[in-house]
Amino acid sequence: MTPQGGTIFWTAVTFIALLLMLWKVAWKPIIQGLAERETKIRESLEAADKANQKVQEALTNQQNVIAAAKKEAMDIVEKNRKAAELVREEIIQKANADAAAMLTNAKREIELSRDKAIEDIRNLAVELSMAATKQLIGKALDKSEHESLIQNSIKRMEKLN
Amino acid sequence: MVEHVAEQVVEHGAEAAQAAEHAAHGAEGGSAFIMHHILAQPVIKLPTVYGVDLTITNHVLMMWITSLILLLAFGLSFRRKKLVPSGLANALEAAVVYIRDDVIIPNMGHHGMMYAPYLLTAFFFILLCNLLGLVPGGATATGNIGVTAALAILTLVMGQIAGIRKFGFWGNMKHLIPGGLPGFLIPIMIPVEIVSLMAKHIALAIRLFANMIAGHITILAIMSLIFIFKSWIVAPAPLLIIIFCAILEILIAFIQAYVFTILSAVFIGMNMAEEH
Repeated sequence: MTPQGGTIFWTAVTFIALLLMLWKVAWKPIIQGLAERETKIRESLEAADKANQKVQEALTNQQNVIAAAKKEAMDIVEKNRKAAELVREEIIQKANADAAAMLTNAKREIELSRDKAIEDIRNLAVELSMAATKQLIGKALDKSEHESLIQNSIKRMEKLN
Repeated sequence: MVEHVAEQVVEHGAEAAQAAEHAAHGAEGGSAFIMHHILAQPVIKLPTVYGVDLTITNHVLMMWITSLILLLAFGLSFRRKKLVPSGLANALEAAVVYIRDDVIIPNMGHHGMMYAPYLLTAFFFILLCNLLGLVPGGATATGNIGVTAALAILTLVMGQIAGIRKFGFWGNMKHLIPGGLPGFLIPIMIPVEIVSLMAKHIALAIRLFANMIAGHITILAIMSLIFIFKSWIVAPAPLLIIIFCAILEILIAFIQAYVFTILSAVFIGMNMAEEH
């Protein structure tokens, strides 16, 4: 039960020899290997993080681009719709205006034709009455005289009416 | 005197062998039977040099077997360098990582990695000695106070080397004087500190030795019951208890290897710590 010198000696020798041999065979390669692997793992993780960040950025960019494109398309459609609306409105207005102008023209023409017809009738009446008067009184009245006469009689007729 | 010690060892072995035979026949030899199993037995007799008996005992032989197994296991596992280990290398590496991350770095900081080879060797050596002591026909080298004393002395030496490397020879000596002490107490405190340093390491040796020997004594004592009662009918009960104790001993083998390593790390770390 008391420590034997020989045991202490052999233990120390064995242990130190084992320590030196294992140092070369095991501890150095293991500790170095662990450090190397940890560095590699850390680097890989960092690289993965970076890649992920890049992908995220690209995704965001892409989304932004798509959103912008969509907005642009919407704008174009909207603009075109507005332009089309405008053109339609214009065409309708022009058509309306054309129709109105044609109507006015037609009315005026009708009025002109009517006035002309009335004038013609009046002239014809004057000439007829002149011819009748000439035949009746055998003398030709002077045209202006005649005219005033007729005008008077027309006025009278109009009054009667 | 030297020859006397050598004779004693031989006599002791012969006595124990006789006692074991007795034990097989009855109760009277029980304690001798136990002693025979836990004490070192000479295997190869060598001369005594300067008062040190160099006889190779079964415990020394077990240490050599342990060393051989460790060298083979580590040598073959890590012969080729691989980025990711597999099989046994993986298991051994996991243990190394555990010692590094949970024993060395928390107790000694990153500078402690300088002493990692010592602590790793101590851990695996003690663990395998403990475990081989449980193999039938084996002997527990760590159940020998001489072996544990040598290991504790090595921890003490490593601690002093660590202190001297960090603070220089006299700087290391200053560890013997606690900081902030009134001058007249210094002559008293230096012996107290020296005793404290010795006590820590003696406790380290006795803790491992006692833990390893206690389990064996328990198992052998319970086994002796069968021979004391001289009856097959009693056998099953001690057998169950022995199986339980053996399993407990496997656990203790790991725990004590871990405890020795962590305490060595703490003691060496203390010598590397700054005064505060």
